[in-house]
Amino acid sequence: MELGALVVTNGGDGNHQTGGAAASFWSSSWPVVGKTVLQRWIERVRELGVDMVSVVNRDVQPPVRMLDWAKEGVDRILLIVSGSYAEIDLADLLDFHQQGRNRITRVFDKQGPLGISLLDRSAVLKKGIRDFQSFHSSRYDFSGYVSRLSSTIAYRQLVQDALEGRCGIQPAGLQADEKAWIDPSAYVDPSARIQGPCYIGAHSRVNAGVVVTGYSSVERNCEIDIGTSLDHACILPDTYLAAGLHVKNSVVDGTRLEHLDHGVTVDLAPTGLASRRLPSRSEGSNSLSQLENSHFLRTPFRGVRPLEDPRNDV
Amino acid sequence: MMSKGPTVVRDFPRSHGLASRKSFLTEIQRLTRESYRPQIVVDLSKSRNLSPDAIDLLLDCVEHVERADGRVIVAAGSPETAVILELTRVTSVVDMFSSVSEAIGGETMPPFEQYEGSQPLAA
Repeated sequence: MELGALVVTNGGDGNHQTGGAAASFWSSSWPVVGKTVLQRWIERVRELGVDMVSVVNRDVQPPVRMLDWAKEGVDRILLIVSGSYAEIDLADLLDFHQQGRNRITRVFDKQGPLGISLLDRSAVLKKGIRDFQSFHSSRYDFSGYVSRLSSTIAYRQLVQDALEGRCGIQPAGLQADEKAWIDPSAYVDPSARIQGPCYIGAHSRVNAGVVVTGYSSVERNCEIDIGTSLDHACILPDTYLAAGLHVKNSVVDGTRLEHLDHGVTVDLAPTGLASRRLPSRSEGSNSLSQLENSHFLRTPFRGVRPLEDPRNDV
Repeated sequence: MMSKGPTVVRDFPRSHGLASRKSFLTEIQRLTRESYRPQIVVDLSKSRNLSPDAIDLLLDCVEHVERADGRVIVAAGSPETAVILELTRVTSVVDMFSSVSEAIGGETMPPFEQYEGSQPLAA
């Protein structure tokens, strides 16, 4: 019996939510300690032995592929609308569907549907792709770990859960300490203080005197400059942070910082406190231009409480 | 317990050019010379984007006031400004409130005319 899996993304440009002064710039393309939720879904589908996996963008490319597959003779289609991370046992879902002789099985948790369905070819051919949700379906109840990724706060919580081991996400990289994962290609200055649980991604640089603590994550190709501290913060790929900053309860993507307590997004570009790094895969990429562009590196803050010498804590 | 000094509200300059910077700091220096333990409320509500120059100017102001054993209170005005001040650790050397009235906290203000160039509280 042939099974195909179709993962529908929400688009990579982010789901901008505005409400008063708050503006969330959450995007489903953000990695969670090394890999995006989409990548994790694909891996799990492949673990089932499914070779026919397709990813389509809901905005750009409607999932007509489902109908094509049904016409081509694919017997079952696993449809995953990527808006949540759920640790469903997909093999168990297949068994449930098969044993119940269902035509459509939809997955629910206690809050409602999770956007994951298993469809028989006959149902797709009969109802097409527009109307299948109105078709009678069987309900598969799931009570395991779920994160509905609809906001930056939900994303931040998922990162924290992954670092704490509350979900099955394994951070990519070597476990340097009890709960500190550092990719082998990352550079961490010996004077930096990495206090787990936290994550440092591939090709990132953590410079002298930096403090990373409180379930913080630094994704790939970032640079955290001298003396900056991260506390309950997520730094998204290709982000440069200037020296001497205190980033707390925030998610930073390039020059955009969303502060989760204040509920505001701030553009840091005019301040020179952050910038977008060139997406380079090689360690030691030229960060000199970013250093030169940062006012605060040329003119360090005065009157600012100095960091404790991290070497004293070793 | 030591008595508190006078509380003065000053608008933070919108432009941070040399002239406005000099004018602002001259005023702060005069206040710190003429009063004991002054409390300067710097109103940032009209400063939409805090540039590096603006933060430098604010830190210069803190330096002058601290020399007079006074303190600087910042009325951030917007959450965005508050975020920048926290991010740059300026909040470790100033007290921060969301508005001027909150910053004053019901304290009795000295007569407005006592400080030339200072501004009355908003009604």
